[in-house]
Amino acid sequence: MPPSDNASSPDPIQSLPAAASPSVRLPRQRQSMPVDTNPLSESTISLPYRSNSTRRANVSSASLFASTLSPPSSRSASPAPASNRSTLTGSVFGGGGYRQSLLDTPGSDNPGDPLNLVLKSFVPHVAVHASPDVDDMVREKGFDGGLWELLRPFGERVQGRVTVRDSNGGARTWDDFSVRFVRLGEGLETPEPDRGGVRSPPPPGATNGGKMDRIAQVEAVVDRHLSKQGLDVDVTSPYYSLYLRRLLSGIPLAAHETFAHPVACVVAISSRNPAPIETLRRLYEATSSGDKRLPVWVDQEYLRYYVLVHDEERSDITESIGLFEKMKRNLGLHCHMLRLRSSQSAETDDDSIPLPRSEWMTPAEELEHIEKNAQNEEFEDPTQYIFESDATAIRTFIREMVTSSIVPTMERNISVWNDQVASRRRGLSGRFMSLSKRWAFGSNSKTTTGSGSSNNFDALGFYRPDTPEAIMRKLADYAFMLRDWKLAMSTYELLRGDFQNDKAWKYHAAANEMAALALLIMPQNMSSKTRIETINGMIEQALYSYTVRCGAQFGALRCLILAVELLRLRGGSGIDEAVKLGIRLLDERLVGVVGDALVKERMAICYATKSGVGSQAWGSRRRKSALWSVLAAEAWINQAKYIQAQSCLNDAKRMYSMLPSEYGVQKFTYASEFMARLHSQLKEGLALHDDEGGQAEEKEKEEVEVVDVENETLHSRRSRRTSTLVDGGAGLETAPLTSLAPARLSPGTEEKAKVDKDGFG
Amino acid sequence: MSYYFAIIGTQDNPLFEYEFGTSKQGGDGQPRFNEQARHMNQFVVHSSLDIVEEVQWTKGDMYLKVVDKFFNNYISCFATAGNVKFLLLHQPPAATAAPSTSRSSTSIGANPTSPQTEEAIKSFFNEVYENYVKAIMSPFYKVNMEIRSPYFRQRVAAAGKKYL
Repeated sequence: MPPSDNASSPDPIQSLPAAASPSVRLPRQRQSMPVDTNPLSESTISLPYRSNSTRRANVSSASLFASTLSPPSSRSASPAPASNRSTLTGSVFGGGGYRQSLLDTPGSDNPGDPLNLVLKSFVPHVAVHASPDVDDMVREKGFDGGLWELLRPFGERVQGRVTVRDSNGGARTWDDFSVRFVRLGEGLETPEPDRGGVRSPPPPGATNGGKMDRIAQVEAVVDRHLSKQGLDVDVTSPYYSLYLRRLLSGIPLAAHETFAHPVACVVAISSRNPAPIETLRRLYEATSSGDKRLPVWVDQEYLRYYVLVHDEERSDITESIGLFEKMKRNLGLHCHMLRLRSSQSAETDDDSIPLPRSEWMTPAEELEHIEKNAQNEEFEDPTQYIFESDATAIRTFIREMVTSSIVPTMERNISVWNDQVASRRRGLSGRFMSLSKRWAFGSNSKTTTGSGSSNNFDALGFYRPDTPEAIMRKLADYAFMLRDWKLAMSTYELLRGDFQNDKAWKYHAAANEMAALALLIMPQNMSSKTRIETINGMIEQALYSYTVRCGAQFGALRCLILAVELLRLRGGSGIDEAVKLGIRLLDERLVGVVGDALVKERMAICYATKSGVGSQAWGSRRRKSALWSVLAAEAWINQAKYIQAQSCLNDAKRMYSMLPSEYGVQKFTYASEFMARLHSQLKEGLALHDDEGGQAEEKEKEEVEVVDVENETLHSRRSRRTSTLVDGGAGLETAPLTSLAPARLSPGTEEKAKVDKDGFG
Repeated sequence: MSYYFAIIGTQDNPLFEYEFGTSKQGGDGQPRFNEQARHMNQFVVHSSLDIVEEVQWTKGDMYLKVVDKFFNNYISCFATAGNVKFLLLHQPPAATAAPSTSRSSTSIGANPTSPQTEEAIKSFFNEVYENYVKAIMSPFYKVNMEIRSPYFRQRVAAAGKKYL
C-alpha cells in the first residue's frame, strides 16, 4: 500500500471509536422497507419479519442472549482488535513499549478488553449468608435466588472511585473496582490428595469430570449463543469475549488458589426477624463452625459484615434504627442497614429500573437459564425490575462495604502478612531491587529451614491456612486483586520455588500462572528478550504441572488463553509469542470444537494487530492473519456455523487483498482451490440456513418480495444473499486482487469491514 | 521427513514447486503429506513469507535457516538476489515409528532443527541455486515466469536425493 493511502484509506486494523458502533444496529430497524439495489442493505431487508408470537419469543430470548446480541458499545464488545499499536517490536522493525504497565494503556478501560476481563475476573469474593426471613422478603420481590441474586449485579460495578494503598503506601484510585458476590460455599472443589510425582494424564473426559465439564459447559453456552445468532451479517461476534468471560466466571473455590475464598461474608437478617441478635449469632456460628463451615483449607478468619435489611413497607423504621444501634454496639463497625421495599416492582411502575443482568454468571447457570427458556413455551421475560430507590440503597451499601470495610481489611492483611511472613523470607535486602538476586537468597534460607515446610503439604495433600505457604499465597492473591502487581509478582516468585520443593504441583502450576500474568501486566525494565524468556519459562512450568502432573485442563486452558491475550496487548514480538502459545493451546486439545474455531479466529486477530512500517508494511503479519482466518472459516464450516465462517473468509480475503504483492494465494493451485471450495460450501450452507431458518419468516418474506418484485425480478432471495458474499471478497476466481482492490469495493463494504473489525476483536 | 520445496517470485507467486521425501535412512524419496491437507503446505509457505520479509534484513547470509514453524511444519528459507525466495517446508514424520527414529535422533530425518539438518539444507539450497541461476539465464526467461524446464526439475530432485 503506498504511503499516501495510509492516511485516507480506512485501515481495518485500527479500531473505531465505540461511538461508531450504534451505526451497526441501524440497518436492523424494522422499517427499512425501501428497496435498494445495494446488496448490503438488501441483506438487512431480508431479515426475518416475525409474526407477533414469534416476535415475543424473540424478545424474551433476546435478553438471555443479550451479551452477544447487544451492540458492541454497550458492554460486551469483544476485545478490541488493535487498540493502539503504532510501534512494533521484532528483530528489526521498531522496539516495544514494555516500560509501561499494561494498565496505563487505554485498553484497560474498555469493558470488552481482555485485560479488563482479567481485572474483573480476579476480584475479591464476598460470600452471602442470609437468614431465611431475608430470603423470604427478597423472594417477595421476585428474586428466587435470595439476597445474593439481588446484590450480585451491583457488585460488578462498585459505584464511584475506590482508593487502594499498595504495600509501599502509595495510593491509587480505580474507577472500575468490583467484587463478586457468591453464595457461601458455592463452587467447592475438593483437592485430591496429591502425593507428588508425575501422574499419568487422565483419559479425556473421564476421571476429572468436574474440570472437563467446566470447559464443556463453556462450549455449550457459546454454542447456544452461536446458534441463536440471527441472519444478520452486519454485527460480528462478541463470542470470543463471551467464551473468555464464561471461562473466567465462577472460579472454583479450590485449595490451590485463594481467589474464590471469601474475603468477607455478608451476614444478613431482616427487620421482620423476631429475635435478631440471636439469629445473627446463629448465622455467625453456622459460618464458623456449623454446617456452612468452609473446608479446612479455607482460612476461617474472613471478615463478617452484618447487614440489617429493613423492610420499608411493613416494618417500623424507629424500631429498625434501634436494632441497628444495638447491632453496632454489639458487633462493631462492620454493620450496615439496607432499606428495601418488600413489594415486587413491575416494568410499568414509574420508578422501576431493570435489574442489570449479571455478566459473570457461571456457565452452568447460564446454560440452565437458556434451557429453562427453551422449554418454556409460555413466554416469560427474564428481565427483572427493581425500584430505583432499592437500587440506590444497594449501591450505597456496596460502596460503603467495599471502601470502608473490605479494602481496608485487605490492605491491613497484606501489610501484616507481608511484614510477618513474606519479608522474613525475603530477607532484609531491598524488596524490589533485583528479582533474581533475592530469589537466590530466598532459596538459600529455604533450604536451611526446608524440612519443616515440606511437611506442611505432604501430610494432608494441601496446606493448612496457617502455614506460611498458604498465607503467602493469600497475600499474593490479595495483592493481585488490589492490583499491586509488584508485590504479587515477587510473592508468587517465592512461592514457585517452595511449591516445587514440596512437590505440590497444582499449587506450583497456579503460582507460576499468576506470576506470569502479573509479570505481563506490570511495567518492567527487563529487555524484551529476557522478559519473554522468563514468562515463557513460567508458562511452560505452569502448563506442565497443570496438564501432565495434575490433569487440570481448566487451569491449563485459563493460563494459556490469558497469556495469549496479555502478550498480544504487549504487541511487538509478544504477538509472535502469543500465537506460539495459541498453537500450543490447539495442539494440547484443551478446547472443544467451538473453542477451537474461536481460538483460530483469535490468532488471526493477533496477527492482524501487528501493523507494519513503511509503504510495504514490513514486519506485518497479514499473510499469517489471513491463513488463520481461513483455518477458522474451515472450522466454522465443519460445524455448520456459516455466518461466522463467512465473516472469517471475508477477513481472509481482505487481508490477502491488502498485501503489497499482486496476488494473494491464488497463484498457488491447491490453496486457491481450497479457498474456492470453502466459498462454495459457504454458499450452500447459507442457502440451507435460509431455508430452514425461515419457516415462520417465510410468509413475511414473501410479502417483502411482493413489494420489490418489480425492481428485482431477476434476483431470487438466495441470490441476494450470495451477492453479499461475492461482494465481500470478489476476485477469487476472477480478477487478481491488486492493492487497488479495497478501492473497488463499495463504500458500504468498507464501512462494514471497519465496523466488523471493531466489534470483533 | 517430507519436504515441499517452492520458489516464490516477487509477487508471492510460486515459480516452481516440488514435493519429495527423504532418501536417507532407507527413505524411498516419496513425500508423506496428508492427501487431504495438501493445500496446507501452500498456505503455510505463503504465510511464512511474512516472517521471511522480516528476517531477511537481519542476516547477512542468503541462507536464513529455519525461519518459521507452524505446528509440525518447519520452514527454511534461502533468499536470492532479485527478491526471489527458496522456501523449503520440512515435516518430520509423526512420532509413531518410535524405535527407528530414536536410533537416529540426530540424523537429518528426525530432528528438523539440528545442525546436521541445517547443513544439509544449506547444501541443498546452494545446489538448487546454482541450477536456478543457470535456468534463468535462458534468453527466453522473464522475471516471475514459472520455471518449466524438466532439466531443472530433475536437478532439484537429484539435489534432494543427495542431501536430504
